[in-house]
Amino acid sequence: MKITILNGDMNTGDSHFSDYLINLTDKLRENNSVNLFHLNKMNLHYCIGCWSCWWKTPGRCIINDDAEKIFKSVINSDFVIFASPLMAGFISSCLKKITDRLIVLLHPYIEIRNGESHHKKRYDKYPDFGLLLEKEKDTDNEDLNIIKDIYDRFAVNFHSQRKYMKFIDYDKVEDIINETNNI
Amino acid sequence: MKLTIFNGSPRGEQSNSTILIEQFLIGYNIINSDNVSINYILKSKLEKERKEIFQNADIILIFFPLYTDCMPGIVKKFFEDIADLKINKSKKIGFIVQSGFPEAIHSTFVERYLNKFTKRLKCEYLGTVIKGGVEGIKIMPPFMTKKLFSRFQDLGEYFAKNECFSPEIKKKLLKPYKMSLGRKIMFFIFSKTGMANFYWNSNLKKNNAFEKRFDKPFV
Repeated sequence: MKITILNGDMNTGDSHFSDYLINLTDKLRENNSVNLFHLNKMNLHYCIGCWSCWWKTPGRCIINDDAEKIFKSVINSDFVIFASPLMAGFISSCLKKITDRLIVLLHPYIEIRNGESHHKKRYDKYPDFGLLLEKEKDTDNEDLNIIKDIYDRFAVNFHSQRKYMKFIDYDKVEDIINETNNI
Repeated sequence: MKLTIFNGSPRGEQSNSTILIEQFLIGYNIINSDNVSINYILKSKLEKERKEIFQNADIILIFFPLYTDCMPGIVKKFFEDIADLKINKSKKIGFIVQSGFPEAIHSTFVERYLNKFTKRLKCEYLGTVIKGGVEGIKIMPPFMTKKLFSRFQDLGEYFAKNECFSPEIKKKLLKPYKMSLGRKIMFFIFSKTGMANFYWNSNLKKNNAFEKRFDKPFV
């Protein structure tokens, strides 16, 4: 299975969160092909809402940075792990930055699903995904339900499914591997 | 109390959020002629200054467009910056979320986050105004934007009088929550005649990109 892991840890030095992901990646690589991206160590810009990817250079973003490596990896993966320590009650701005830019993988044309407008597929197949988070001191169930529901909305927009939401606080690397391998 | 506005659109001054802020202030200024501070979150060099402005503000409105059914990355970064502040005076915060999708349902999930985030800051939550179908207002003829602009002016006037959003106007702006049967039928007819994609196709053609519209560059 091809897997992309997007690490939204804002810390670019050593951190418990990034170490956990490196360990996870090493173990997943025993049976899978895995690309791990530490987003804050890459040259990545925010989406500027110019829509060039929809009507000037269809399927390509005009921002010249490292994002194309991620787009290529994500769309050719069977599974994506969105990973981030929670900050201000949500995933990091670094992970949100790349989540926004994944619109390049969608088509501008609209279709109606469940009484709502959504963008059509550009590609035949989109990867399902999991969320791997680290809680803040004050994280509560309300926060987690909000994150889960927003990423379930992302799944609808992205023609995919969220398969799990796990926490490095108490889910062992082996549990994530088993869950991922069983998808 | 003085009003401070943050514009969270990644398009900055050229955004639909800017247009909505202008309309809101037309109504607001009927009642209150004080200067309103308008700050663009896009300008990353002003990060420190922006935090100070937030710290000193009493009533804050944050306008932003919906990105992947949530706040844009730059707005999330702003939230992280202000979450670290020790808020030293009481504040009231309200939000105006606009989207290109016509249905309000897309924006209701981030509304829950905004409510919780405001509580996390220990500030008073003034609510979130949601308006769909905003994309293209810059190029629409006046008859198409008249009702929307009038409602935003009324929203601003009410806000200046009461320091809160009018529940009645908020409810009107929320429509349509989901696509009605009539709109679904209209969309079906437009799809069959090619009209549903007119906006996209005309821009694709203008940019000589129409023939490449189904490109899949990454497989």
